[in-house]
Amino acid sequence: MNAPSLDRRAFLATAGAFTLSFTVADARAQQTGAPSAPWAAYLSVGQDGKVLLLSPTTEMGQGTHTAHAAIIADEIGVPLSWVSVETALPSDPFRRNGAMGSGGSAGVRAWYAALRQVGANARASLIAAVAGKTGAPVGEVTLVDGRFMRAGQALPVTLGEAAALAAGQPPVQGVLRDPATFKYVGKATPRVDIPAKVRGEPIFSQDFTRPGMVYACAVLAPVYGGAADGFDDSATLAVKGVQQVVAIPGGAAVVATSQWAAMKGAAALKVRWKATPIDGLTSGAISAAMLAGLDKDAEAIVGKAEGDTAAALAGAAKVFEADYEVPYLCHAPMEPWSITVEPTADGGLEIWGPFQTQDRNRSTAAKTAGIDPSKVTLHTLMLGGGYGRRLGDDGTPGAVLVALAVKKPVKFFWRREDEIGQGWYRPAQVARLRAGIDASGKVVALHVRTAGPSMRHTFSPTGLPKGEIDGSSVQTLTDTRYRTGAYRVDWVRVDQAVPMAPWRAVGATQNGYFMEAFVDELARSLRKDPVALRRELLAHDPRALKVIDAAAKAGDWGKPLAAGRARGFAYVESYGSLCAQVVEVSLKDGAVTIHKATCVLDCAQVVTPDGARNQIEGGMIQGLSSGLFEGIEIAGGQATNRNFDGYRIMRINEAPHAVTTVFIENSEIIGGVGEPPVPPATPALVNALFALTGKPIRKLPIAATLAS
Amino acid sequence: MTTITLNGKSITVTSDPDTPLLWVLRDELGLKGAKYGCGIAQCGACTVHVGGQPVRSCSVQIGDLDGQSVTTIESFDGKHPVQQAWVAAQVPQCGFCQPGQIMSAAALLNENKAPSDDDIDAAMAGNICRCGTYPRIRAAIKAAAKA
Repeated sequence: MNAPSLDRRAFLATAGAFTLSFTVADARAQQTGAPSAPWAAYLSVGQDGKVLLLSPTTEMGQGTHTAHAAIIADEIGVPLSWVSVETALPSDPFRRNGAMGSGGSAGVRAWYAALRQVGANARASLIAAVAGKTGAPVGEVTLVDGRFMRAGQALPVTLGEAAALAAGQPPVQGVLRDPATFKYVGKATPRVDIPAKVRGEPIFSQDFTRPGMVYACAVLAPVYGGAADGFDDSATLAVKGVQQVVAIPGGAAVVATSQWAAMKGAAALKVRWKATPIDGLTSGAISAAMLAGLDKDAEAIVGKAEGDTAAALAGAAKVFEADYEVPYLCHAPMEPWSITVEPTADGGLEIWGPFQTQDRNRSTAAKTAGIDPSKVTLHTLMLGGGYGRRLGDDGTPGAVLVALAVKKPVKFFWRREDEIGQGWYRPAQVARLRAGIDASGKVVALHVRTAGPSMRHTFSPTGLPKGEIDGSSVQTLTDTRYRTGAYRVDWVRVDQAVPMAPWRAVGATQNGYFMEAFVDELARSLRKDPVALRRELLAHDPRALKVIDAAAKAGDWGKPLAAGRARGFAYVESYGSLCAQVVEVSLKDGAVTIHKATCVLDCAQVVTPDGARNQIEGGMIQGLSSGLFEGIEIAGGQATNRNFDGYRIMRINEAPHAVTTVFIENSEIIGGVGEPPVPPATPALVNALFALTGKPIRKLPIAATLAS
Repeated sequence: MTTITLNGKSITVTSDPDTPLLWVLRDELGLKGAKYGCGIAQCGACTVHVGGQPVRSCSVQIGDLDGQSVTTIESFDGKHPVQQAWVAAQVPQCGFCQPGQIMSAAALLNENKAPSDDDIDAAMAGNICRCGTYPRIRAAIKAAAKA
């Protein structure tokens, strides 16, 4: 699973394999016609005819490696089984906006057109080589299912032989195939990573080993931003297999000959923690500070302002207002941080880990070691879950420091309690929405104010300057398609010393809930059907109306319900895709049963339909899980729910009994799939419970509100 | 020293008796199919069979297993009906929890050839999937039951 080094690529080329490096335009630019910086992607065809694609994306279960393999197989014209995919090493051809990484549901939409061109160029180069060898005119040779054909007859040249012939020849610009000829793109293409996952093969970072490797278990400060003031390691060093204890940022690491010995030694380590300014911080205090922020007009930074919202509200026949609150959320990937670092003979580092941001982690490793980034080789392994958690670089400094201290390969890992307790969270946030309604019942003004900490400030190495807006704090609010007359969105910054990072769908999760829960409450106050009100707000937008109507139909909106059940509706657009969902629920003794969940996604084009469907099912469940159960509870400056007994994740018996997905395809720009299904799920569930009980749910998680 | 039958073969392991089975498998024997996810028997990623029953190997000490039969996903070799159903239904996303899911499902189907939805809920509720592949897990178990 190791990405081939440049040396291996050079070896393939000199050994007669065929290495392509094509410059094509940026995918989005191709679709919109705007000019853009050129980039290249690498593809190798071995003499055995196997195709190796170095993908710019990390595979974390979202299926982008399969989509990329399908694109390449279709454009070249080879069976999918001939194509293998590995995540590339960080280098220019695999960077977008100056860095290599996977996020923003961009894995397919940003690379689709570009990878097609790479495959087309490969095919053209291979055909040119075959034509040269056989004397057949280039225009008469085709490549179908891995065989070169002329006039219905197979030519006596294999793909591997053609690759050897093409090696060293100048690349040829290929013509894209007609998508109607595709066998894998847009079809029920099986995921390339599933067989190994089902066999339980050692493909994850946790499973990766190096000869002579030792294990290092992190012992991190319980308080956010905490640090060690020293430690007593006498009991730790008495544990069989423990070799030494190394100080790392935020704590210490126990080095041992086995992972269990390291964990046992970690449990025995007595660390003295330094006092911090937040040793008394609680969830209640964070909540109170955010709610107070809602009243701080002078501190509000405007995200969007259309018309005079204050005047429109003052002049409205009626004003409807509600406040909402969400807690910090943990990504909780099933695999806690696990990174292997090996010092190299030339003073560099070789690193293997689960990274969503290759360049960020490479530069952090280099900075920690005091070496140039060019001396760090960073391999990306299969991720045991990402959802944004592996966008960070918080595991890397400790891993590097331990490797430098022990001078041998080390697997540095976190325990679950630290993965949750020191995770970089989805922000806690509050919102106040105020709608002005005229005498006829029409919405003529809407003011949305959010307040909370800046995610970007803790996630970005450069922070967020005072006075600037954090786009994620108003994400989906500033670009909503709803027309509500005068419209204002602003944000009051209320920072806390709690680390944050993008969490799957990022600001769309909390802001989608605020807006959509409010729309349902507004509909009730206006005695309107929630879907009818959304249709009113979207009357000018045929594309959005189509999504609303498709979801209403697929989700049986308005159809009779069994006794004790209700449906909820929500619509959120994010990452270039429009998504509407219907959730059908019942409630017994405070426990929610989700009978049915329906999702309509307009992402314009679906490259791998079954993989996309899996993303929708899982995305809805992650959204339902977070809305129903999840929230970091803070006391004494630290998370008090640090494992799955306290941080509750939806289980199979709590998941929807039936999930229906509908795609809408059209000629619009291709949208994301991995994130857009998450945001509508929570408000659809909230709205279903509101419909059932008549009581709004203005604070998440739902289970806590129902119990209060 | 503890002697167990591992995937049909008798072996003697040298890990201390208080070592959790998970770490005997991963550290001493190099079998990486069972995963560390929580360490407190809450997530199910470490599920293996002991005497045919699903257990959370992170919370069972090897010293208590002398003479017992342990089965891990490595013994299934990709050919188990549950694994085949998992591929057919395209269940996994990230895949980290799936060896544990598959072991729980295989144990269920050993005892119950036609599990109801409630049976599946009861047998599988100990296995968390953060990617949310539960609808496919349910469908794959039903397909495997019919295979």
